[in-house]
Amino acid sequence: MHPATPTSVPDGRTYRTPLLRRRFLRGLLAAAVALPLVGAAAACGDDAASDGKVKLSIFWWGGEARAQLTEQALDLYTKKNPDVTFEKTWQANQGYFDKLATLTAGGNPPDIFQIDDNFLAEYAARNTTLDLNKYQDSGDLDTSKFPPSLLQYGVVDGKLAGVAAGENTQGLVYNKTLLTKNGLPEPTTGMSWEEHVAWAEQVSKKTGVPGTQDPSADYKAFWVWLRQQGKDLYAGSDLGFTAEDVTRWFELWKGARDRGATPPPDVIHEGNATDITKQLVVTGKAATSWVWVNQMPELKKNTADELGVIAYPGDPSAQWARASMYWSVFRGSKHADIAADVINFLVNDPEAVKLLGTDRGLSSNLDLRRVVSDDATDPAMKQSIAVESELAEKFGESPQVPIKGHSKVKAELVKAGENAQYGRATPAEAAAQFVEASKAAIAS
Amino acid sequence: MALTTAPDPTRRGTGSVRPPATRRGTGRIRHGEGLAGYVFLSPWLIGLMGITAIPMLLSLYLSFTNYDILTPWSEVEWVGLANYERMFTSDPSWWHSVRVTLSFALIAVPLKLAAALGVALLLNRAWRGVGLFRGLFYLPSLLGGSVALAIVWVSMFNREGAFNSFLALFGIEGKPWVNDPDWALETLMVLAIWQFGAPMVIFLAGLKQVPTELYEAAAVDGASTFRQFVNVTLPMLSPVIFFNLVLETINGFQGFTAAFVLSNGTGGPVDSTLMYTLNLYITGFTDLEMGYASAMAWVFLIAIAIITVIFFSTGRFWVHYSDGEDR
Repeated sequence: MHPATPTSVPDGRTYRTPLLRRRFLRGLLAAAVALPLVGAAAACGDDAASDGKVKLSIFWWGGEARAQLTEQALDLYTKKNPDVTFEKTWQANQGYFDKLATLTAGGNPPDIFQIDDNFLAEYAARNTTLDLNKYQDSGDLDTSKFPPSLLQYGVVDGKLAGVAAGENTQGLVYNKTLLTKNGLPEPTTGMSWEEHVAWAEQVSKKTGVPGTQDPSADYKAFWVWLRQQGKDLYAGSDLGFTAEDVTRWFELWKGARDRGATPPPDVIHEGNATDITKQLVVTGKAATSWVWVNQMPELKKNTADELGVIAYPGDPSAQWARASMYWSVFRGSKHADIAADVINFLVNDPEAVKLLGTDRGLSSNLDLRRVVSDDATDPAMKQSIAVESELAEKFGESPQVPIKGHSKVKAELVKAGENAQYGRATPAEAAAQFVEASKAAIAS
Repeated sequence: MALTTAPDPTRRGTGSVRPPATRRGTGRIRHGEGLAGYVFLSPWLIGLMGITAIPMLLSLYLSFTNYDILTPWSEVEWVGLANYERMFTSDPSWWHSVRVTLSFALIAVPLKLAAALGVALLLNRAWRGVGLFRGLFYLPSLLGGSVALAIVWVSMFNREGAFNSFLALFGIEGKPWVNDPDWALETLMVLAIWQFGAPMVIFLAGLKQVPTELYEAAAVDGASTFRQFVNVTLPMLSPVIFFNLVLETINGFQGFTAAFVLSNGTGGPVDSTLMYTLNLYITGFTDLEMGYASAMAWVFLIAIAIITVIFFSTGRFWVHYSDGEDR
């Protein structure tokens, strides 16, 4: 007994509460300790097909505009095939692949899903995607009007894992209004990297707005630069570059930072987010951003300024016809035949393709691509079509689809690049760190 | 007090001893009553088994496999202790996330408890409008680990944020707090500390339980306010402090939402906010290494259990239960 415990308390209040309180506290503690730290909730659900009617689930990422266009196109399919209806689900890009993986794990993946080259090999290597070769062979899935390299960019280990939903390429987007206001020249396709940095330095000095986002942590810029050096991101199941290459790349941008051509590291970090609304060219924190050409209309929505778009610096033939994203079918889909037909519809039906426009990039079907560009009215869309069509003539051969582990390699490049940007590591140290981590990421 | 101090040979020293009368009664329960008991328990039991226990056991199994989410269960390969080995021997980012989490918990938890206790002491006095202030101080906790709050935090503590505008009033040049690898974690700590409402309310309830006679007696003996705090308030409050400490430590280790939102789910800038749970999430869902992530979760669970056991075993030296049983 504690000596302080009063023994002469007359009412029962203080007699009872300590005991209750103690029990209560212990109970709460037990509950807290036992809280589920580990464990995942299982997904459940069932799709019931009856009387010949089929309901296909379809899942994509994107914004409001894409959702509207896609829903209209799918409704059109239902109109033509009344027995087929869709369960449409879409969400923003962030978290999309977490959700897709979880749905797959829960045994409830969508029949058709949108996927990009960052994850295509991850899914194809694990046989999550259906090999669409047989539909291509039978003609149910018509790819005869596709540019061959674009079609090839959906092939993993000889299997057609995804059908390109559109074609795009890297695009350097700059703030035209800012440049004209200050009497500065617009950048042009074909400028060397050195010229680009010098131009950006000039923009910083004259306007006070940093001339260019520092893309050293951006895999797509790094990739284009590598291809101009005769290297590649991947070679077979290995990396297509060495630590020396990465050092040179990081040093190029360290030079640019030292010359004041880029924003300070924390702003570069903001721009390293993949979110379109955070790109520095639309937030006004830099005059140039490194994006994909098909993102132009979406970027334009986030700024009042005029934007221009060109290829990345250096020889534009290092760029290629990239599938902006693919449509894939889940291997275990009960309605694979219909799913393949829906994809065929989305990429080859004139009405559907017209509806979808260039939201996912230029149409994969070359005949329809022309029709869509003639019909385009939105200036930003017209601009991106013009630039892409122009670049399409200069495109080099497509690289291989990024291999399993690519998403981690991308994250490691951001980490190493930012380490150098914040001055926490020299370009050589950051490069060594990146190469080591990437080798580990693709090893498994 | 007679109830709990009654000698009980089987469970010496534990407080949850039932009075002997109840225990004798259990023998007389008939089968029908037992069944009824389980029926009444079932909502909780089904929840516990279905949502907690079974998935936990499955994840224990997965931690010994190379499960990658996409591969069907039937094709999952048993890899033995490889996941655990990798964690301790060849995964620098795992060690990094351990360091981040430890420094977060070691700094944020004590400061949060100190803030909660300090404010609770102020609010324990009877002055006009105290109820309003109790409500106001509790408000941040109501928002909990919400995404909205983390977004507000990011916009308050970035380069153009409100906090830097405030500093500018005094001619101080701020930093891009949330985007600076040297400060991002500290910004998260401030967020955690700011949400001291829940432990504060528990402290307040504890303070109300301290018999006023003790203070009166101490005052008569000539104890200063500080002596009263050290010799009366703290000992009487020690069970509540213990409770809050254990709870907040577990919470601190599990911090996820704010770090996720602040870094767009990457743990950046440069891994400065790579909390253990965030690292686990990225490993499982982005890198698709769910088997490895399961192993990480189990190591985490065991680490927290060990820390909790340490708390409980040291508690006997400083936690004082006023119902007479010193432990």
